[in-house]
Amino acid sequence: MDRVTTATHCPYCALQCGMSLGAPAADHPGIPVVGGRDFPTNRGGLCKKGWTSAEVLGTPGRVTRPLLRGADGRLAESDWDTVLDLIADRLRASRREHGADSVAVFGGGGLTNEKAYQLGKFARLALGTSRIDYNGRFCMSSAAAAGNRAFGVDRGLPFPVTDLDDADTVLILGSNVAATMPPFVAHLAGVRERGGLIIVDPRRSATAALTDDGAGIHLQPTPGSDLVLLLGLLHLVIAEDLVDHDYLAERTSGWEGVRRSTAPWWPEAVQARTGVPVEQLRAVARRLARGRGTFILTGRGVEQHVDGTDTATAAINLALALGLVGRPGSGYGTMTGQGNGQGGREHGQKCDQLPGYRSISNPAAREHVAAVWGVDAATIPGPGVPAIRLLRELGEPGGVRCLLVHGSNVVVSAPDAAAVRTALERLDLLVVCDFVLSETAALADVVIPVPQWAEEEGTMTSLEGRVLRRRRALDAPDGVRSELWILRELAARLDAPSVWSTEPSVVFDELARASAGGLADYSGLSHELLDTGVAAYWPYPTGSTGTPRLFLDRFAHDDGRARLVPVRARAADDPAQRDGVLTLITGRLLEHYQSGAQTRRVPELQDAQPIARLQIHPATADRLGIADEAPVEISTTRGTVRCVSQLSADIRHDTVFLPFHYAGAESANLLTEGAVDPISGMPEFKRTTVTVRPVGGVR
Amino acid sequence: MRIVLIGYGPVGARFVEEVLPLVREGRARLTVVGAEEHEPYNRVLLAEYAVGRADRERLELGDAEAAREAGVVIRLGQRVQGIDRTRQLVRLGDGTTVPYDRLVFATGARANIPTLAGLERPRIGRAAARADAALDGHSAGLPDGVVVLRDLADADTVRAAVRERRRVIVLGAGVLGMEFALAAREQGAEVVTVYHGDAPMERNLDAGGGRMLAAAARAAGVIMTSHSRAESVVLSTSDDGHRHFDALLCADGKQIDGDLLVLSCGVAPRVELADRAGLAVSTGILVDEELRSWSDPDVYAIGDCAHIATPVAATDQRGGGSTVAPGQHPRVTGAPSGLIGPGWRQAAWLAGVFAAELRAGERPALLPAERRPVVMLKAEGVSVCAAGELGADPWASEPGVEVTQWVDPARGRYATMTTRDGVLTGFVCAGLPRLAAELTLLFERGSELPPDRSALLALDGSAPGHGALRSASPDDVVCSCNGVTGRAISHAIACGSATVREVGSATRAGTGCGGCRDRIVALLDQAAESVADVLPAPVG
Repeated sequence: MDRVTTATHCPYCALQCGMSLGAPAADHPGIPVVGGRDFPTNRGGLCKKGWTSAEVLGTPGRVTRPLLRGADGRLAESDWDTVLDLIADRLRASRREHGADSVAVFGGGGLTNEKAYQLGKFARLALGTSRIDYNGRFCMSSAAAAGNRAFGVDRGLPFPVTDLDDADTVLILGSNVAATMPPFVAHLAGVRERGGLIIVDPRRSATAALTDDGAGIHLQPTPGSDLVLLLGLLHLVIAEDLVDHDYLAERTSGWEGVRRSTAPWWPEAVQARTGVPVEQLRAVARRLARGRGTFILTGRGVEQHVDGTDTATAAINLALALGLVGRPGSGYGTMTGQGNGQGGREHGQKCDQLPGYRSISNPAAREHVAAVWGVDAATIPGPGVPAIRLLRELGEPGGVRCLLVHGSNVVVSAPDAAAVRTALERLDLLVVCDFVLSETAALADVVIPVPQWAEEEGTMTSLEGRVLRRRRALDAPDGVRSELWILRELAARLDAPSVWSTEPSVVFDELARASAGGLADYSGLSHELLDTGVAAYWPYPTGSTGTPRLFLDRFAHDDGRARLVPVRARAADDPAQRDGVLTLITGRLLEHYQSGAQTRRVPELQDAQPIARLQIHPATADRLGIADEAPVEISTTRGTVRCVSQLSADIRHDTVFLPFHYAGAESANLLTEGAVDPISGMPEFKRTTVTVRPVGGVR
Repeated sequence: MRIVLIGYGPVGARFVEEVLPLVREGRARLTVVGAEEHEPYNRVLLAEYAVGRADRERLELGDAEAAREAGVVIRLGQRVQGIDRTRQLVRLGDGTTVPYDRLVFATGARANIPTLAGLERPRIGRAAARADAALDGHSAGLPDGVVVLRDLADADTVRAAVRERRRVIVLGAGVLGMEFALAAREQGAEVVTVYHGDAPMERNLDAGGGRMLAAAARAAGVIMTSHSRAESVVLSTSDDGHRHFDALLCADGKQIDGDLLVLSCGVAPRVELADRAGLAVSTGILVDEELRSWSDPDVYAIGDCAHIATPVAATDQRGGGSTVAPGQHPRVTGAPSGLIGPGWRQAAWLAGVFAAELRAGERPALLPAERRPVVMLKAEGVSVCAAGELGADPWASEPGVEVTQWVDPARGRYATMTTRDGVLTGFVCAGLPRLAAELTLLFERGSELPPDRSALLALDGSAPGHGALRSASPDDVVCSCNGVTGRAISHAIACGSATVREVGSATRAGTGCGGCRDRIVALLDQAAESVADVLPAPVG
């Protein structure tokens, strides 16, 4: 293929920075030259991960042939027919002997819309299983549940990112954008100049530091108290009569219950629970209500909790009380994390969902999708179970016996990682599609090599609900096959109904038809139209020009109103911080992405952050006899992590931070637990009671 | 199960909310009897309402309408005349009776009326049913211009006075008195606080904390009159025969004139009804750790009226006849906490017990003993917070006990922290809001303090993130998007990069969000200057 510059987007996060891939330099064959491309989200800028993203294409650990575990227990190269026949035989046998739900699919938020769609279809039609879910459950599920509950639809940012440029006040809860999506910070320049950036984080993160020098306010609550903080802010907004009563009357329902639900959270009670002083609470409440240009944004820090859905709901309630949502120049949004975390949750990877963000339990939705697929609606299975329950079913009696993993590294990214590893080992068959031998792939019976982002065509839907084209800049290595091809081959071997195109543009057209009339309606879109550079925000029904801003006229509930839902804080049960007992929060570093399967293979990134380091306050470290850069052990009943300390006054005294990008004994998710939010199925990642001690005794 | 709840204050309302699912499921029938005419409201915010800073809506608690729709019978403006425990009947003021299987007292507490000449002090009549009404709030037979601040009617009187910016005298400088005084002053009233001790909030603060609070209150414009024992009120009689408050007289002969006297002299649990019903009472209605009356296994008490203590004769309570003699138990130690938090926890817990019984589920674990409460003054601009043991001597050498103090009167900052074996057991904190918030968390969790206590004081330091304490280093990251240090940028400049763009090409600095470009320009300028220093000045 020709080697002119290809306009595409970065492979990593949901900001989907515009990127160009040029011909490889002579001294670096096979690695296209990365350039920043002018695009509204990044305006030509890229972060260190983006600049170095092409390095993974040539990584020595690349899988380029199907691998099959032999009788000796080792993975060895095989050929496509052998592995596809073997997989199909084993899946068919499992289904025959143990039922369709003995086969499960675990997807990922990094897959293109086409692959995510086809994977959902494959699970329902070729496998006949209800058991499909994906790693977005660990990412966006709480905010999605809250958004659906309040607005009737879930689009992360219901407005373009560039709307933030003119904001007067931006409240960001639990997101470290300066490390996770650095070019985003450019959109905060205006609000910082106006002194209105408010960051809520138990750490003085790189993002929190952006509030210095009069640029805003940093609130540093104790982990897991965000819901109380938000109830307290709403209490103050009510107390000081900063509520937009006309808006509430015209555009919402449920205000009375929410108003009453804030009654127990006067500022002093909030201070006692959160550690945020009353004067800061008052300053924030007043600033939020100053004028109309206020945005409230949530991230994983407040959403990855057992009460994550209610916490996001409390943030939405606050935004609604202030009349921010559905008006140009203000709003509520959640910052989607993974590259296609938005599109990946719209087209059928979720256990309870069909394409177009339709409910799999809705008869009309089933009929519509069945018609597109050319099958009887009765053949589509009902709702399955969310990710954590699915992982728990692995290898259990009556549970899942064969698992297909696509674009996810669950032994690093799922909570209680040791239990997940044990569960995977109980399976009859584990098939992992990946382009490197990730920690999960290394446990597989069959590893299937697939292309990387620069080697494929498709679409991604960014954090602002904009559908983007991912374009091929170079061919995948010989021996690698696309997921669409693999799914077609397996579907044929399993005698699946319907058609299984291997052409992304054709699959997209089918997706568009399947989504028509749904909440996430892509029916007016095609690769051809997207190639014109149109700014395509969904819903984009046939004949429309898309929807950059949602809710300007109405919300997606039948009555057109947003629903305020009262939420309650759980009882305080924080442990005594004695003898090394502290609260662990996990998160990301600038240099790494998710489980690190890609970024740990980029020398420049790995050299900058080669090992897991536990961030701990110097005063706490002093109390526990922990020196800087010294070996420490962090443990819970589930597991133990050994890593190195990093003393920093930027973290609360009662909290430690560990990045989750590392594997083996440094894997943060050895410590986290599988407790989940009852509504969203989101695990509790951000409030784990741990015991920290120096290795080699107290100094 | 027929449940009757007496009292529809904040704790009662919470109990109703928690029992509602059982009512909706048809498992429980609930009747609520409330003496006040109003729907339940948040008494904690009454002072803010009284000074006009909160409106009536903000005080609303619980959804009485939803409860009624679910089938709860709510009888407002009704007093309980008596309780027939043998037949399990509650007799109401209108002569009707309500049968119960479980009876829950949430009657709360009333304000104390101090003994002052000129004020009729209603006697606590054991026998007279009407005495309840006579004892409560506005109808307590106080002259015009003298109020306690306990219910909405009281608050409305005070609200009018504050709105008209009258001269208000507050008798008592406890937490509630000080909160009201500061709030009323902030709303423009002239306020005199009269107390007989050396410093305000003597029960909650040590000497240093009290002095800090007094100074802060004076700075806010409240006239603080210490060492003043009030003895009598001076009343004037108007033409229509109404007596009205004019002045307060103190033991030292001082006369303090004012338009309104607000009595803030503590509260006492309402126990008369329980007492008349033959239930064991001491400071409050005596209940065991399961909130069950010492005297009757079908009767419970929660909130400000509930005095939790281990029964003195803890034999079988369920076997019909009570082994505990009815009547006063004056020597039972402890008392209701007087705080809303424990009351709400009790309400939720008791509802959980009933739910377990009705759904044949698991009983909730016993409520943990309440920690000594953290007292936090609710006042805008004045931060005072305290908890636990007070007044330990920093110089006493008791093993394991350490006391740390910070005293800075000129800036209104004060802190005392007491630890036992490293664990925080008490603190007083004024003018250090962030420290107060953190000490509250540490105290409530029973956590250890860091050995370097000054690390905690730094929380209220003026340097955000302690940045000012650290001088800029060449190894500081300048471009955070790409993790480029100042040293790396200087190196690129030394190697010939002359523009921001060239620095970006060499190091990637400035190629992310672009927020660091000003700093790169500064480094370029700095390098140009240092080059200019060593080059000869241009000639001509």
